[in-house]
Amino acid sequence: MKITRRRFMQSAAAACAASALPLGAVAFQDGIKVEGVTPETNTTCEMCSYRCPVRVHDLGSGKIFIEGNKNAGHQKTRICARGSSGYSLLNDPNRIVKPMKRKGERGAGEWEVISWEQAYTEIAEKMNALKSKHGAETIAFSAKSGSLYSQFKHFAQSFGSPNIFSHSSMCPGGRYVTADIMLGGDMVWDLKNTKYLIVFGHNLYEGVEVGDTYKTAAMQNGGGKIVSFDPRLSVVSSKADEYFFIKPGTDIVVALAMCNELIKNDLYDKEFVVEYSIGFSEFARSIENITPEFAEMYSGVKAEVIRRITREFAAAAPAAVVSPGHRTTYSFEEFDTRRALFALNALVGNFERKGGLYSKRSPEAYNKLVGTKAAPELKKIKVEYPKPAARLDALDGERFKYSIKRGGIYQRIIETALSDKPYPVKGWVMSRTNPMQTLADYPKMVEAMKAMELIVSCDVYMTDSAAFADYFLPEATYLERYEQIENRSGQSPAYSLRQPAVKTIGDAKSSALIWYELGLKLGLEEFYPWGGSMEKYIEMQTADAPELLKELKEKGFVSYGTSFLLREPSMIAKAVEKYPTAAANLGEDGTFANHMKFKTKSGKIEFYSEEIEQLWPGYGVPRFRNIKIAGSDELLFIQAKAAVHTNAATAFVPSLSDLMPSNPVWINTETAKTHGIKNGDEIVLENATGSEKGVALVTDNIRPDTVFTYMSGFGVKNGYKQTAAAASGVMCSNLLPHAVNDVTGMAVHTSAVKIFRA
Amino acid sequence: MKSNYLMFHDEKKCIGCQACTVGCANVNDVPRGFGRVQVQIKPEKDRYQFYRVSCQHCEKSPCVNVCPTGASYVDTDGVVRVNNAKCISCAYCQSACPYHVRYMEPDTRCPDKCDFCAESRLAKGELPVCVSVCPTDALSFVKADSEEAAEWLSKHPEAYRESKGNAGAASVYRRKEIH
Repeated sequence: MKITRRRFMQSAAAACAASALPLGAVAFQDGIKVEGVTPETNTTCEMCSYRCPVRVHDLGSGKIFIEGNKNAGHQKTRICARGSSGYSLLNDPNRIVKPMKRKGERGAGEWEVISWEQAYTEIAEKMNALKSKHGAETIAFSAKSGSLYSQFKHFAQSFGSPNIFSHSSMCPGGRYVTADIMLGGDMVWDLKNTKYLIVFGHNLYEGVEVGDTYKTAAMQNGGGKIVSFDPRLSVVSSKADEYFFIKPGTDIVVALAMCNELIKNDLYDKEFVVEYSIGFSEFARSIENITPEFAEMYSGVKAEVIRRITREFAAAAPAAVVSPGHRTTYSFEEFDTRRALFALNALVGNFERKGGLYSKRSPEAYNKLVGTKAAPELKKIKVEYPKPAARLDALDGERFKYSIKRGGIYQRIIETALSDKPYPVKGWVMSRTNPMQTLADYPKMVEAMKAMELIVSCDVYMTDSAAFADYFLPEATYLERYEQIENRSGQSPAYSLRQPAVKTIGDAKSSALIWYELGLKLGLEEFYPWGGSMEKYIEMQTADAPELLKELKEKGFVSYGTSFLLREPSMIAKAVEKYPTAAANLGEDGTFANHMKFKTKSGKIEFYSEEIEQLWPGYGVPRFRNIKIAGSDELLFIQAKAAVHTNAATAFVPSLSDLMPSNPVWINTETAKTHGIKNGDEIVLENATGSEKGVALVTDNIRPDTVFTYMSGFGVKNGYKQTAAAASGVMCSNLLPHAVNDVTGMAVHTSAVKIFRA
Repeated sequence: MKSNYLMFHDEKKCIGCQACTVGCANVNDVPRGFGRVQVQIKPEKDRYQFYRVSCQHCEKSPCVNVCPTGASYVDTDGVVRVNNAKCISCAYCQSACPYHVRYMEPDTRCPDKCDFCAESRLAKGELPVCVSVCPTDALSFVKADSEEAAEWLSKHPEAYRESKGNAGAASVYRRKEIH
């Protein structure tokens, strides 16, 4: 593999040759050769957040090849385009590999390269100065989810700030919060055994998660049916047995009409509902007028279709499942939409049955159930933290407590920075997060960042958000670092490890090490019994199971025992055969149904929540509210994941930019005609938040009232436009309003726009 | 010459995710801006077709017939290959290919294209990389005279091979998705 040599660009004059290139001195990767650690390393991917097990081959001469890790039976050598592109990220000469300090105005892109020592000393001084003036809570910490998030959170907690945010409120948070309230915890699907799958926008063929994507394809190949509701022809719709162009934001009314149909026609699992739920009658009453005809009026899905699909779904149950969704927030009705989807599953009693929903089981819980130590257990490393002040997003009292437990209301940083309410937040430390692209209301985010006194960004690329930092700390990629051991259990126990496949390039460091070293300067040494070394950390995690560590280093992914679901007799029989000690835990019915626990207030599935009714009057039980998103002269604006990009993280990766260098805007043929727009025309999308230019893709494969584009970090504004994907396309966050969704605290990713030819 | 290998592309299973494209570019040192394989997502009436574009290793191989130096050749397994040492960069093969799957490698100035990973993988006993990485098992690669080949073909009677121009039978079978 050739590495393009690229000197530090020393002057503005040199950069003028191409307007896309940055000003000032930038610490790009400089002709460094990739060196493998071992010929084959089994580790964990990080090209998106799913953490698929991968195997990295060192092919010599600085060349690596990444495929799926054969040791993970659910995936084998399979991998997606992003995972396979790790080589392109690693070798990218535009990766930043030295610490930098801002010169000139924020966001202007002028930098000077500094030493780690200088970076740590100056950042620590500034953090401590802010802390003594306003308290530790004046610094907000935000990071993408994943194992590094734990180390980052640990750093923030050691510093004493309560204000730690994950990307939850702009991605999966709505589902988690809803599941916590309604079911006492999230549930996942037994996709492999499903016979009938209904998806509302959840698209495993573009939002690829290799193991689950494979299972979906295998399920279809085995005769399983998919029904897809999506306002445009997604790949999963194209592959589905049936698809319907549902109106954006109206998933809730179709799902509730299906619930009503199940109830009215006695198609639901009465025994299950009686035994495991509360609030059923309130729920049934709340939706009794939501007929398929009523749903058709709002959603555009024909009443007879809703009737038929409800019956097919009930007939296929319990091996029938409605996806509770993934990256969601289709409307302001996030909470009740997700509740309606979980309710459909609960009504047909598919919980802990083959092809239905189930709760992931920790190795500890698994061992307890089978009555023997079937899998090794990790040691929890506990540290006492200073008691923090109240969180900045806790100003609504208890109202968002579920959201706060799941990573907080990220977008509240904006309001707080601009209003000093509930208290001044003057500092922001970010790790691999790019809220300018992925959150909402880009213009307000710019203002919020300008109002900060200190911004530190740890990243591999100069993203839009990193470009507003005062200090840029270069992170080593996932191929160059150790991380803590992760519990990956589903129906049976499993662990995974991320470990270096190649030697670290340049002066980049793993973020765990960066926060530790900065922590030393801040006087936080006492919080690091592992001395900042992740290798030491994983040794501590496996103090009681050294053989696990050995095996993980060799295999990257290790699984144990046999899979089973708590209410599935045939699977339980196999588990008891393997672990005779499990028999003692069986209930009277010969299953583990007696171990199915819902950690809600009532200990049951809550169709009605007393607590939520008190916190949010009117939200006790799911109901339909007709919320209008678009005015008569506007179009609905929706986004989705692309198979070859990860939200805002991969537009800079050369091989992925090459595959998808822009995000054209889908417009229905008729709509285009009335707007005088032709395929390939440059168009403007505009609303109260902002205005974006894009290229029209005129198609019949979308509803006439909707425009769509892929949300994948296109249209970079402040960051480096070093690839085609970064330099072109629509920045979606510039068209999404600032919002904090009721109950879930989510940002809202459906908006309305006016369009016209540029 | 008939190839000893067959590749099956199941368009029903394929999701157009391009994992094949990236894996191939990586393993076979395909320069940026070019590709040995790509899956095109073609809009049809109300569905997409997932159409693989790559060398078909066709029986009559016009690219080999027009090559003045023998640089384009068919190896003993029936795989159409390029021997750069003999190539004079005349690009006749590129023009002759009815599938338009050859590109000029900018450094070597020799044509390059899919060789079923003959050099990079088959020689080491590994499957072509596109087959190995595919997340939905849409690709299979088998010996033409094997039981698996016969089984796949009898299981999928609707499978077809493209035959463009005077290329003869291709070594790539496609199973079109029908709704």
